[in-house]
Amino acid sequence: MRRIDKRQGKFLLAMEPQERALIRQLLDELRELLALSPDDPRVRRLYPSAHEQDVELENEYRSLTRDELQNGRLASIDAVEASVDAELLDVDQLTAWMQAVNALRLVLGTMLDITDDDDELSFNPEDPNARTVALYGYLGGLLDEIVDAQLSD
Amino acid sequence: MSAAPAEVQLPATDDEQVPDRPWIVIVWNDPINLMSYVVLVFQKLFGYNREQATELMMDVHHKGRAVVSSGTREKAELDVFRLHEHGLWATMRQD
Repeated sequence: MRRIDKRQGKFLLAMEPQERALIRQLLDELRELLALSPDDPRVRRLYPSAHEQDVELENEYRSLTRDELQNGRLASIDAVEASVDAELLDVDQLTAWMQAVNALRLVLGTMLDITDDDDELSFNPEDPNARTVALYGYLGGLLDEIVDAQLSD
Repeated sequence: MSAAPAEVQLPATDDEQVPDRPWIVIVWNDPINLMSYVVLVFQKLFGYNREQATELMMDVHHKGRAVVSSGTREKAELDVFRLHEHGLWATMRQD
């Protein structure tokens, strides 16, 4: 069964309480990660370069945008937290879900050092990264449903 | 681009921008973002229809990059920023 279904311009959110609790927990983790400096390798992927060859322009861009990128993601976390128990999301709320889930995936993918489009992660409970691998897979599935619900126009 | 005629003296200031040359915004392939997500972001940010957005995404996926928008430096910078908000790898340069 799909967790997110378009219904007359809004989106039905069908999730068990345990899954909603997991999301809430992941939001706390993302909020902690966002408190790190944008130069920290764990979150560096959330602040990409705009100017690859021009250091001066790049520094200018970074100083102008890093706070705004950070604040935008924190606002998404707040919006998801505020709607995590909802049955129905409007498009702005769903967009916040999408941005928060994608930010988490980017951070987890960076931690797992995913470098190939076709990397197939296999789950091994003995692996010290097992939780991260499982969450990365879970968030990919959720994001795919969030996207599909919006593409189905 | 054609060169300026020889008789024209161009001012030689450090930060001179040639206004005619647009800036282009390039999205680079990355191994984490989902293909469907990238299509949706292109549609939402730039108003591409599904077919155009899918074609651009496939260019990014297969050729490693695609030009997704162009214009003044200010417009390009805003577009890059919006792409970064969505976690895409985007850069800009003057064409």
